[in-house]
Amino acid sequence: MKTINIILYVGLVLLLAFSVVLAEDNETQESTILWIGSHYVDFSDYNKKIGEYLCGEDEWIPELELTYFSRSDNSIFRLDGHFHDDKDIFADARATKGDHFRLSGKYRSFIRQLGQDLLTNVEAREFFESTGNPGGKMLTHELLDPGADYDYKRQEILTEVEILLSRKNNIRFTAAHRSVLKNGERQAIANNHCFSCHLTSESADVVQRSHQIEAGLDAELAGSDIGYRFGYRVFESDAPDPVAYYDPAKHPVHGGAGAEFSSRQVFDDTSVAYSTLPRTEKTSHKVRFKRDLGQGEFASSLGYSIAKNTITDLSSEAYVGSANYAVGLSNRTRLVTRGTVTMLKADDPWIDLPTYRGGAADLNETDFDFTRYSGLDRWDLRFSAEVISRLSPRVVLYVLGGYDRVDRDDYPIWDEGTQTDKFTGQVKLRYRKGLRYSSLVKYRFEKTSDPFVSARGLFELPGYDILEPAVPVSPWIFYWQREDLRYQSITTLPTDKHVFEWRSTYRPSERYGLTIGLKGKYDKNNDLDSLDVQHFSLQPNLNINYTPDVKWTLAAGYTYSFDKSKLPITVALFDG
Amino acid sequence: MGNYQKGASGGIPVSTRVFLILLGLLTGISVAALAEVPNDVCADCHADIVEAFSGTAHGVYLSRTPGAEASCEGCHGSAVDHIEGGDPAGILNPASQDQFGASLLCFNCHRSMGFDDWAFSAHNAGDVSCAGCHAIHSTEYVKADEPDLCYECHVEVQAAAYMPSRHPVREGKLVCGDCHNPHGGPARLTADNTGRELCFSCHAEKEGPFVYEHAPVNEDCLICHNPHGSVADNLLRQTEPSLCLSCHPMHFHATVVSVDGDFTTPQAPERAGTSTSDGWKQGMLTKCSQCHTEIHGSDLPSQAISAGGTALTR
Repeated sequence: MKTINIILYVGLVLLLAFSVVLAEDNETQESTILWIGSHYVDFSDYNKKIGEYLCGEDEWIPELELTYFSRSDNSIFRLDGHFHDDKDIFADARATKGDHFRLSGKYRSFIRQLGQDLLTNVEAREFFESTGNPGGKMLTHELLDPGADYDYKRQEILTEVEILLSRKNNIRFTAAHRSVLKNGERQAIANNHCFSCHLTSESADVVQRSHQIEAGLDAELAGSDIGYRFGYRVFESDAPDPVAYYDPAKHPVHGGAGAEFSSRQVFDDTSVAYSTLPRTEKTSHKVRFKRDLGQGEFASSLGYSIAKNTITDLSSEAYVGSANYAVGLSNRTRLVTRGTVTMLKADDPWIDLPTYRGGAADLNETDFDFTRYSGLDRWDLRFSAEVISRLSPRVVLYVLGGYDRVDRDDYPIWDEGTQTDKFTGQVKLRYRKGLRYSSLVKYRFEKTSDPFVSARGLFELPGYDILEPAVPVSPWIFYWQREDLRYQSITTLPTDKHVFEWRSTYRPSERYGLTIGLKGKYDKNNDLDSLDVQHFSLQPNLNINYTPDVKWTLAAGYTYSFDKSKLPITVALFDG
Repeated sequence: MGNYQKGASGGIPVSTRVFLILLGLLTGISVAALAEVPNDVCADCHADIVEAFSGTAHGVYLSRTPGAEASCEGCHGSAVDHIEGGDPAGILNPASQDQFGASLLCFNCHRSMGFDDWAFSAHNAGDVSCAGCHAIHSTEYVKADEPDLCYECHVEVQAAAYMPSRHPVREGKLVCGDCHNPHGGPARLTADNTGRELCFSCHAEKEGPFVYEHAPVNEDCLICHNPHGSVADNLLRQTEPSLCLSCHPMHFHATVVSVDGDFTTPQAPERAGTSTSDGWKQGMLTKCSQCHTEIHGSDLPSQAISAGGTALTR
């Protein structure tokens, strides 16, 4: 979307919003604040990644800030705008008319600086093991745009409208729209992987668009609230795909055996696109239902969404159902239950690959074609129940129990399911003495069996099963035999998790407030084959508030965060 | 202290009062007489609050709506006992109420404003009342702007926001409400309730579905990323390669013995470099995504047939 379109779009929203106010004939209150300034940024010690979102020019840039507020009998209009520079603009307009019309529009832009990886670590040559002389495997890189400064400008437009169509049955129409636009340049790296390992870096355009709309109706019928939402999102890239030439396959030293090496590659000696982006469309439908049930409140929803990759014609579907119920068991006790069931299903395409060593004289051809089962396929069940009991006018006790199950159909890639179960328990105690003093203590425990693990990592196809035990013919190439050593259970996710939280607030008067707290977390996984996983974090904090009058609040706080992790990493096994 | 008349009933229940005010709005019948204690009596002790309230949306709306009155008692209930005894407990203070009563008062008027899931929300369960965040007596809607308002309780998130890699919340480009719905229920403009969906609503290019998948992308973005902030680039929970090696086998080329000195590639002499004794370790154990660039998924096969094209390098 070009800049002029953005300006026109934002202008249209502002015009609509203004018309709401101008339609009022009655007395109007207005206030306008215009701030004019300037800023300058010095880059004498410029560090790009620290400034991932902070950028500027080392010159004086004018800066504007505008707030306009208008209120009449029944309408409110507010506009906030900030011009920091031409890459960093914010505007927010909101109009409300009674309880029957709301319109808001927002525009914001900023720069994200990506930096350039100079790939300087990619330079190496091996020894020939037999002779001790420099050998054949090489690692090299090439920067085609060494001075490039990669970044993109992100622009977002968001509009929302709510209209009361009928007071009878309180029928409301709501709609929302969001566009996210990214324009700039990124680093694209092509990976040549044959007679030498060679990375080629070049600039690639970033022209990405994501447009999303949502519309729905809500109404009250026969004592129930019902609603429907339709959603649609499209993502596409208008940038040309980067293209790279991939080397002809041959022996890294003597340059021979081209046919043999080529027969091991999906492609070689050709220019093909890489680092492409999909074009996706997502459509969703959701209905919700809510009504008083018995002494409580029942709310539920059913949703369906389908995401399509229109380039590959692959799709994934999601069915989501939720049901929540909250009821007062007595005038001192509430029960809140929450439940969600999700079913995800994605297409499982057949991957048709060239025959490995096709046409080889020794007839050692291998077919690596396979069905790519999706790791997305699963049932996901989440349920929790929380009892909240006021033990005394000042003390409330919360007890929560939860159970989550993830039942994967195909995990992670091949046709083999796994299941993760998680039990959660939480106890919380809150003490409150009016507004003067309050205190909270919470403990949470999670017990997980078989958390998500990456069982075979990148080597996810069933080649392992195909090759073993028929591998030993070629000790030069295959190291699959030892893969079992690498594929022991390994994960960063815990089986036991403990969370502790304490927070106390003291307000000696309406003007002063002091809050002190401590959060701690410890989790571990002792079920792995070798090393344990442990995480520990601690965050004490102190906050002070001073409110001299209703117009002012001064706040100061200090939080110390400590995190420590103990994680396993794999080690290399060289048998090539 | 000004004059007032104590009602014979000792005060009309708040819900009844709100109902009557709404009835008055619809029918035009004045309910001004419901106010047993005029606001100017309240102003004797709470002058700044009463003055400020007259300029708020609530105050203006009620004062200019025929039949309604911007009465303190409209929300606080009968002030009679409070004035007689001076005891703060003698009057309803919504800010000090818990989920057993406080927010219900506001919902008498604010029904259809996206609060359907409030009863089941974490904030409600945590006794965060409307007045906990919203400034009822001020011309501002909330007590502080995001993210400062949220940081008052979520201090660990505030700490994460100061990490080197973060979403640009600290820079004011995004706010907490872009991802979180403080009133419960799914975040704005999310198609379903899965955690991935929230991320994909902005990072749509990573949703796929792709021909070649990366399993944790299907599972949970939080396995690799900490959205509130991290030391490592791109919100990663750890730096590469440690993060990758926590799940994947180390590349066997990392154990290749390197040559010291300058070299050229025999089959492509223009490709030259300077190798060190740790050259292969540096090349293979610095940043996996230098080669495996399409780590969130790809529609294009990588080169090696024996890996099924699944290496996510293209």
